[in-house]
Amino acid sequence: MGFPELLQFTFAGLKNGAVYALLALGFTIVYASTGVINFAQGEFYMLGGMLAAFLFAAYGLPLPFAAVGAVAVAAGVGVVFELLAIRPRKDGDPLALIIITVGGSILIKALSRHVFGPDEVSMPVFTRGASLEVAGARLELQTLWIWGLTATTVAALTFLYRRTAFGRAMRACAVNRRAARIVGVDTRTMVMASFGLAAALGALGGLAVTPLTQMRFDAGSSVALKGFAAAILGGLGSPVAAVVGGVVLGLLESMSIAFLSSTYKDAVALVVLLAVLFMRPQGLLGRARREKL
Amino acid sequence: MPRLTPRGVLVAAVAAAAIAAILGGCGRSAASAEPHRIGVIVSLTGSYAGLGDPEKNALIMEQERVNDEGGVNGRSIELVFADDGTDEARAVTAASKLIEQDRVVALIGATGTGQSMAIRGDIRRSAVPQVSMAGGTVITDEFDENVFQTPWSNTIVVPFVLDYLRERGLTRVALLTDAGGYGKDGHAIVTAEAPKAGLEIVEDQTFKPGDTDMTAQLTRIKGSDAEVILMWAAGKEAVTVANNREQLGIDLPLVGGPGNARREFIQGAEEAAEGFVLCAGRILVPGAYGEDTEEYRVAADFIERYREKFGKDPDIFAGHAYDAFHIVVEALRRLPREYAPVHLRDEIEATSGFVGIGGTFTFSPTDHNGLSADELVMYRVENGEWVLEE
Repeated sequence: MGFPELLQFTFAGLKNGAVYALLALGFTIVYASTGVINFAQGEFYMLGGMLAAFLFAAYGLPLPFAAVGAVAVAAGVGVVFELLAIRPRKDGDPLALIIITVGGSILIKALSRHVFGPDEVSMPVFTRGASLEVAGARLELQTLWIWGLTATTVAALTFLYRRTAFGRAMRACAVNRRAARIVGVDTRTMVMASFGLAAALGALGGLAVTPLTQMRFDAGSSVALKGFAAAILGGLGSPVAAVVGGVVLGLLESMSIAFLSSTYKDAVALVVLLAVLFMRPQGLLGRARREKL
Repeated sequence: MPRLTPRGVLVAAVAAAAIAAILGGCGRSAASAEPHRIGVIVSLTGSYAGLGDPEKNALIMEQERVNDEGGVNGRSIELVFADDGTDEARAVTAASKLIEQDRVVALIGATGTGQSMAIRGDIRRSAVPQVSMAGGTVITDEFDENVFQTPWSNTIVVPFVLDYLRERGLTRVALLTDAGGYGKDGHAIVTAEAPKAGLEIVEDQTFKPGDTDMTAQLTRIKGSDAEVILMWAAGKEAVTVANNREQLGIDLPLVGGPGNARREFIQGAEEAAEGFVLCAGRILVPGAYGEDTEEYRVAADFIERYREKFGKDPDIFAGHAYDAFHIVVEALRRLPREYAPVHLRDEIEATSGFVGIGGTFTFSPTDHNGLSADELVMYRVENGEWVLEE
């Protein structure tokens, strides 16, 4: 195998990895504030793509507005979901909340089937143009968009977490919810905000991918599974950990296609995930901590 | 009258009330005008919803037409729909309910191969004839005297496509299949038939339904000495394959099967779909039959009525449903007004020369698919439309 092929496999891995990372970020954010895995995360990915395509096609909105609108609506759905389904469960029992998110996932999927119909929808790429040629490998412009969006998101999230009062409050809430409340952090708002933020990130991933893959009402779950694996691999800790988890998972998949066979790509990724967890239960970048789930 | 259990009495009473309500004001007695009740299992939710939806549309349209024309032997047709949610377990529940409670005389369905096979137990037990709208070879290969199938099975389509490749001198084939039921079925038959057709599979790649990127698989194919990419997949991932092939600058021809004969494919892949070659029945371009044929009149009439009612062109799945419906209805027409259930199965098997949308069906005691490669043609995507490949 020559260098151009190797580079091409790397591009493929990094592209999928960036998408997994956006989903993993959503898992990480909700986990930090509530201690639960939000199994509805994949539905926000789906909603992002469906809504953007819908706003673009049905209302003729320019693409950037359709994209922003889709992220905003998805975030709104995330907030409403928290208010209606998560908040009423006052004791915060993680197991009950996880079951609630599974139910939410089924509900959102069924509703989109009825609103958007059973067929896949399409959306144009953000920037038209031929693929770039990089050292013999091809790089399509939409991939650059996906990378750019992921990088910007991680930078913005890191800034939010480290530099703003709001972000510090979220982190405090993640470290110890009761202690945070005692020092005056409105933890309920933090949980709500985390659901909204996670939904927005999922939606961003979905709408960035839709021009390449189309989107359909049931497309969320399989990608969410990958995002979940990436989040666990990274360690459910910081935004950087989510990105590392996503990129490692994406590269593992494409390299197993390169050197083994596409039949085994998911199996290889899963075996490595298990091996990592066996040796480092806290994930690649996680710190050892008390297990909540 | 069969045995009168309390439940039986209740069902009969409810049924009689329902029939009376339907026929209210009509002069006939309820008993003599009881409808032919046919069960339908389709996927209206889940991943095959995009296939089940047009199937249901076509069935409702044809039911209305037959009933408006006076029904069958003075009895109307009543379709009882059940959604299997693209789930085997729900298909089984639906089949039991339709057979035991609704007492249907025949079952049309299911949409998917897995669901069609899952209800095999109920079909065997009850001997209610089943006409499946799914394309998996296994449905008629694992032969059951009560089970029929309307799509062209892969055993017919694959050799046809391989012949096309050989005629073009494309003997080194890169195979790209989805790991779902349809792709797996195609994969098994392609790998078995290719040596017989004098073709060599030089690269064999798969992807999972839901995968968002195929550039890694296509890079492997690009690095091989393949002369053509043969894709066997039924889902939206076909669009990703077409897009990624374009993006990688691979100029090998891309060839597919009936699973890609959906408008959504062209809409999603746009320019990347140009030049894509696929094999399907003639419904995509009914003119392929020649304009003064019975086949053309049936297809053109169906397309026109469907377009008028639903505002879009029917796809091949609507066609499979049309065929399943009329195969059952034509068999009912040949039967007397009252008949034993086993005779319906026999009459369906006696279907001969029935001109449908997928082709001309002739069943036999050993062939319950009833189609031949004569019904197939190759298409090419040109300017966003299907055109006949010369």
